[in-house]
Amino acid sequence: MTVENTELTISRFINALPATVWKAWSRPEHLAKWWIPDPIECKVIKLDLRPGGGFETKMREGGGEFQPHVEGCFLDIVPEKRLVFTTALAEGWRPTEPWLALTAIITFEAEGQGTRYSARVLHRNAADSRKHEEMGFQEGWGAALNQLAACAERLE
Amino acid sequence: MENHRTPLDAAFHALSDPTRRAVISRLTKSPAPVKELAEPFDIGLPAFLKHLRVLEESGLITTEKTGRTRTCQVKIGRLAEAESWLSEQRALWQARTDRLADYVETQMSRDNENDG
Repeated sequence: MTVENTELTISRFINALPATVWKAWSRPEHLAKWWIPDPIECKVIKLDLRPGGGFETKMREGGGEFQPHVEGCFLDIVPEKRLVFTTALAEGWRPTEPWLALTAIITFEAEGQGTRYSARVLHRNAADSRKHEEMGFQEGWGAALNQLAACAERLE
Repeated sequence: MENHRTPLDAAFHALSDPTRRAVISRLTKSPAPVKELAEPFDIGLPAFLKHLRVLEESGLITTEKTGRTRTCQVKIGRLAEAESWLSEQRALWQARTDRLADYVETQMSRDNENDG
């Protein structure tokens, strides 16, 4: 086994009850507001919160066609506590070959008057890193990074 | 105000805006004075300067004043960090988490917490 690090964890306190944070995740009209950064527009296509249920979001910038963003499948749903999805499977556990395979384990824990929100994200391997520029593209910064990279190479 | 956990988060935040990306795109060709950079954009100079400030604070560009002209250029150091794919994924999830928190805390009031 390699010891290559392919896992990341984000954790932060949110000043609202777990039920509210869950609602922001589990209702399409709310999810669309924060899932993708402004000014990119997000459309929630599937948000079928049950094991095997589809999860799909699309995005567009500047009024063009909606482009693929995330397509995956929920693996585990415990309302107001835990939500797990993967991009390695599509709706109904159908295997896919995503350009970036990941499993995201999202937890909502009551903490004081609010919520300890954590996202643990597991990736397949660094080979996927070749594809990471596409994710950058999807959230709008990939093209700029590529230009910076090209510029850096010229200066070296 | 968004809370950026790492300098890299600030860099990705800076690049999340199309005007700022266009500025970076222009600056990767050569350094340029502020006046020239602002020209293609249909926004006021104060608003444009705000974009430049975000880019400068994120460490993606530096500016230097010579006489009455302020010249901007891209700063390459930050780029090496951004090239780590896991760092990029982390920045993406951190930004996403911050947007969720911001949305929940400002758009969903506690009055609505129990409406089903």
